[in-house]
Amino acid sequence: MIGLRPTLAGRVCLAAFATLILLFLALPIIVIVVTSFGNDAFGSFPPHSWTLGWYKQLFADGSKWPAALSLSALVAALTTVFSLILGVTAATALVRSELPLRTAVYGLVLAPLVIPQVVIALGLFLLFEPASMLGSPIAIALGHTVLASPIAVMILMATLKGIDERLEDAAASMGAGRLTVARRITFPLAMPGLVAAAVFSFITSFDEFFVSQFLSSVDTVTLPVQVFNVLQYDVDPSVTAVSALLIAVAVVALALVGVVRRLGGSGRQDGLLPTETTVGLPAGNET
Amino acid sequence: MAGSALATQPQPQSQPAPTATPGRMSRLRRALAERRTRYGLLNAAPVVVYLLILFVYPIFSTLLLSLKGEEGGWTLHWYADAFQGANLEILLTTLRISAETSLLSLVIGFLLANAVTRLKPLWAGLVMLVVIVPHFISALVRTYGWIILLGEHGVVNNVLTDLHIPGAPFQLLYNEIGVVIGTTSVMLPYTVLLLYAVMRAVDRRLLAAAASMGAGRITIFRRVYLPLVASGLVNAGVLCFILCLGYYLTPALMGGPKQTMVASLIDDQVMKQNQWNGASALGIILLLLTFAGLLLLRLLKSAGEAYRKRGTAS
Amino acid sequence: MPELDVKAPKITRPPDAGTGTGTGKPLSVTGLRKTYGGVTAVDEVSMEIAAGEFVTFLGSSGSGKTTTLMMIAGFCEPDSGSIVVGGRDVTRLAPQKRGLGFVFQQYLLFPHMTVWDNVAFPLQLRGTPKAELRRRVGETLEMAGLSGMTRRRPRELSGGQQQRVALCRALVYRPPVILMDEPLGALDKKLRDQLQTEIKRIQRELGLTVIYVTHDQEEALVLSDRIAVMRDGRIDQFDSPRELFEVPRTPFVADFLGAANFLAGSVEERTSEHTRVRLDTGGLLTARPLANADADGGRVRAAVQPGRIGLCPADTGFCTGTVETVTYVGTLVRVTVRPVGGADTDVVRLELPAGRAPAPGEHVGLTAEFTDVSVFPDTEDAGVHPDAEHRG
Repeated sequence: MIGLRPTLAGRVCLAAFATLILLFLALPIIVIVVTSFGNDAFGSFPPHSWTLGWYKQLFADGSKWPAALSLSALVAALTTVFSLILGVTAATALVRSELPLRTAVYGLVLAPLVIPQVVIALGLFLLFEPASMLGSPIAIALGHTVLASPIAVMILMATLKGIDERLEDAAASMGAGRLTVARRITFPLAMPGLVAAAVFSFITSFDEFFVSQFLSSVDTVTLPVQVFNVLQYDVDPSVTAVSALLIAVAVVALALVGVVRRLGGSGRQDGLLPTETTVGLPAGNET
Repeated sequence: MAGSALATQPQPQSQPAPTATPGRMSRLRRALAERRTRYGLLNAAPVVVYLLILFVYPIFSTLLLSLKGEEGGWTLHWYADAFQGANLEILLTTLRISAETSLLSLVIGFLLANAVTRLKPLWAGLVMLVVIVPHFISALVRTYGWIILLGEHGVVNNVLTDLHIPGAPFQLLYNEIGVVIGTTSVMLPYTVLLLYAVMRAVDRRLLAAAASMGAGRITIFRRVYLPLVASGLVNAGVLCFILCLGYYLTPALMGGPKQTMVASLIDDQVMKQNQWNGASALGIILLLLTFAGLLLLRLLKSAGEAYRKRGTAS
Repeated sequence: MPELDVKAPKITRPPDAGTGTGTGKPLSVTGLRKTYGGVTAVDEVSMEIAAGEFVTFLGSSGSGKTTTLMMIAGFCEPDSGSIVVGGRDVTRLAPQKRGLGFVFQQYLLFPHMTVWDNVAFPLQLRGTPKAELRRRVGETLEMAGLSGMTRRRPRELSGGQQQRVALCRALVYRPPVILMDEPLGALDKKLRDQLQTEIKRIQRELGLTVIYVTHDQEEALVLSDRIAVMRDGRIDQFDSPRELFEVPRTPFVADFLGAANFLAGSVEERTSEHTRVRLDTGGLLTARPLANADADGGRVRAAVQPGRIGLCPADTGFCTGTVETVTYVGTLVRVTVRPVGGADTDVVRLELPAGRAPAPGEHVGLTAEFTDVSVFPDTEDAGVHPDAEHRG
């Protein structure tokens, strides 16, 4: 069947089928982008006429979106910082040193990826509710970091493994101290990995729904929670424009990672997207 | 650069096994004194402390809460509650929808991943791009896309009506069809990525070798290809199932009252009924189901290894 | 082991070695020791290396040569002993504080820097003024024939070019001692020969002190002023190539450097001039004096290099036998002779000029100058491989 000469009929079937599945994946995204420029909001597809009205409405007076957007951006930025700090130290410990109970530490770090997010969210709610921290951007970011840091650790571990440790020794043999080695050798070589870890931490937080839902208060709501609320209870046609913006953010982020990996460092990293490091990730940004 | 990578020539593997505790203790102490170990502990500390406080402890307190009675004391009351009446139905619904979804994404994922391994590198790269990009786009947004597509006057129904399919337009939203379509679409990139990694590792010459021995296409598929990717299939299927169990967004937005899943129930109990103990018990049940799935994978893996070992020994 | 006085080795400096006016500094190592979890990797290694000298640590893997080098570099700490470079004790210093140069087998060029930046890096660390930095980097690269590729990245270079850059990077800051860990191990034979010549030329020109690690005997012989033959964490012999070859002090050295023939027998007569050995195959072989006084009348083994055995008429010389194989290797022929009534282990290997090849089946006698024959007590058999599979 495979590795054998394909028949013509087989090829046509294959192509048709693959196209169908790809449509299945891409169509929901395409439809949102197109509809967000259409004049008839929830109406027919494709739209009869085009407009930027929904985007303008996002920033009109009395709109709830700017507040949600800035909260999400703030939380995502905080999460990125936290998760990079944890990621760099944890990856260094796991890749570049002797660590007692290494397997246990590694297991703990990756556990948030397989534990149901509703359980994590519930636990965080029970932690922050008594502390009256619901709605606090810090609390939400701390929660998001639980989900984002495993991804950062995995990416940075792969990055560090890809940097020959003996390069650091070579620099030391020429008289470079620890800080100089870190600044001149390790940091530039790890740059693509750091950017990827930062970007994925950011979009993990920016798109995260469940933890935000549990840790939000009535007045402080992140963008995805706001979108969810609108979809479930309200009617606000500009939600399509917000969704398109979320798509744009994700696409720009992925493109950024792709570009950095192309340009970056030693040129050993190949491929446009970090498929290798994300294959093992249980749908990091979902639920 | 204490104890650098360069200084590894003679491996200290021939260490005598520790016979008495004092010997082991002193070895541990010596190991701790090593600069490289101290460096490791220092660097591991932040993430470990962080996760202990914000991940392990919260789950632990969830467990405690699920065992506490309303007037103090210990009880299994909340678990009994979870397995009764409407709650039990929701639990079974969750298992059913998870099974349907993971089976569907496994089948579609298998076919797509398999197709990609047969494409030329450029095309394979493009197809994988179409798989990966949605993986990183908010599931919420993708679900919304499906809501637009599957509505009564949505694209799908319009096309079906134009084709004069009998019965069109269909009810595709707020029922199980909608939930399964939406959730499968969300899970699919994940299964494709997992399966593609396994399939790419298959040596295609093995298949040609089987053909040279006179095996037909179906025989080759069944006797050679499938066994080679079987472990990957099981892996992807179980992991997908685990992810579905705690999934919330799509069922909540695209399902009707009959498609309520455990995650929705937990959300409801916390946000609307202030019923934390019951929610905790449900969370712990999800956690245990997850552990059961992971344990199953572990057992299958070691069973597979044992089987292979026996195979080579005989 | 006969008294191998490694603690106070005599310094045999060939006349053409560095005179101390170059950039190289002397280095002395005393009682260096390192154990890994009960296994002794390096055992009481001591040596004095003069300024401008090229010294090679030669041994097979696990002989302790690399570990010794790593301790000198500072990448691992010795359990005991001391290392003094140019009068400064560096034993407990971190690698970056020692100021030595290191050339690695895997080149280890910084992939994110150009050739120029790689070579400039150590000077930048030292805060060298810009103009001088530019001059020295330029000079060094020119010396190595790399002037045309300063803007390239390491991955755009061939293996030989990369190793040249690595060499420049270690040379450019004029370290008192340069350590090289099998720097040519990853290159093919032709390139290796070429770079050996270059390394030797640069070392002489600049009067560098170099410690070089290799398992390749030929490379060691070509490059070194002195070679330390290492085995099981100890130095078997530390001498000039000529002395190692002609006066091996252990059977291991005789075997490792020249793939000697070992002929078993017992001592028949000893004088201060020579030793006569009655070989087990019947003949009488005259050799240099036996070092160990206790071995009088005891079992011994005589070692003689294949190239130092000549042919003579049958029934003269120390052995008579039948020519078994004749193999042409360029200008030489390799010949094996089986002594009359001898077993497979008694077969003697010879290397003769191609013009003087005997025919297979011919009955010949074997002869050797007594100064080319070393004798060792038979008890001391460690490390000798009768089949010498490590021969280059």
